[in-house]
Amino acid sequence: MHPDLDPRRVASLLRELPDRSARPYGFAEFERRCRARARATRIAASAWALAALMIAAGLLALGVRLGTQAASSRAHRAAFDAPAPGVEPAGEAPAALLRARVMEHWLASLPSEPAVVRVGTRAAVTRLEDRIAQVDDLLSAARAERAAPARLTALQQERTRLVGTLVQVRYAETLADESR
Amino acid sequence: MGRLADTGVPDELLAQACAGDATAREAIYGALAPATLTLIRRMVGQRALAEDIFQDTMMTLYERLPQFRREAPLGAWLRRIAISRCLMYLRSPWRRLRLRLEHEDAALALIETSRAPAAQGGEWIDLERALATLAPTARAVVWMYEVEGYSHEEIARSFGRSVSFSKSQLARAHARLRAWLEPREGQSCTLI
Repeated sequence: MHPDLDPRRVASLLRELPDRSARPYGFAEFERRCRARARATRIAASAWALAALMIAAGLLALGVRLGTQAASSRAHRAAFDAPAPGVEPAGEAPAALLRARVMEHWLASLPSEPAVVRVGTRAAVTRLEDRIAQVDDLLSAARAERAAPARLTALQQERTRLVGTLVQVRYAETLADESR
Repeated sequence: MGRLADTGVPDELLAQACAGDATAREAIYGALAPATLTLIRRMVGQRALAEDIFQDTMMTLYERLPQFRREAPLGAWLRRIAISRCLMYLRSPWRRLRLRLEHEDAALALIETSRAPAAQGGEWIDLERALATLAPTARAVVWMYEVEGYSHEEIARSFGRSVSFSKSQLARAHARLRAWLEPREGQSCTLI
């Protein structure tokens, strides 16, 4: 059928192909398809907008939820980090205040009762805890009466000293438990 | 009538179409649509896809008609739009895969049914069939190079590939077309 086909002949055959062999649909059909496409584009745009809105709403809900959790976690942490009742940071040197917080934090991490209760040690601990509670009461009363800062500072220093002693007793108790 | 690139329309008709005159738009459609669809079909093969691209092309033509500067015939401008639309389809990996799968089905069906000699316009019909058996990219490359007059550099740029890509696609397309057009008794066809 095509005995001597070289690339030039193929190219020439391609160029000779009729250039209007396809029959397109009529103009009325073209316009109908234009309208259909415009409608489809509008629907797609609405669908995208709706999807974007839903995603935004989802993200907002997630953000609100995470924000609530973070706020609750912050409040929890603030409560944990807050000074003990009656502690008034004003009038106390920052280093002393920090030392008092560290000590109280360490005390809070100990079990309320040691593994082996020794009567003497337990009595000392109870006495110290009672004394700290009394100082806390005095601090609260002094704050309520708007007492002089010097009085507040003295009470706070007394409280820090008592806490320090309590730490030493509890530390000794812990060492004794571990050496058993 | 000449080829699409040589087809022009009177200035008056263009002005009326730009003003939104439906009759003028219909006249332009009548003058350019057959050659445009033929070109797109030769580039992408499938009728349904070709009609989709054709619709896109004609819509773009009417949208951009006020920007047409009349430096060349309107057909040449439309041809550029049509080819760029076809290339957009051919360059997209997803569409290329779809085209390739559908092309293989269509080509296999064609090979089964078209072994009989064509009754009329035998050479052209043979060549149309041979073109239909080419892979979409190879068909577009051979058409752009041999008929539309693009250089290898231009084709490479259009596909975002190297010049050797264009040359190898062309060589494979030629080999495939020759294999199809030469007497095929006892030969098996392999798709590119």
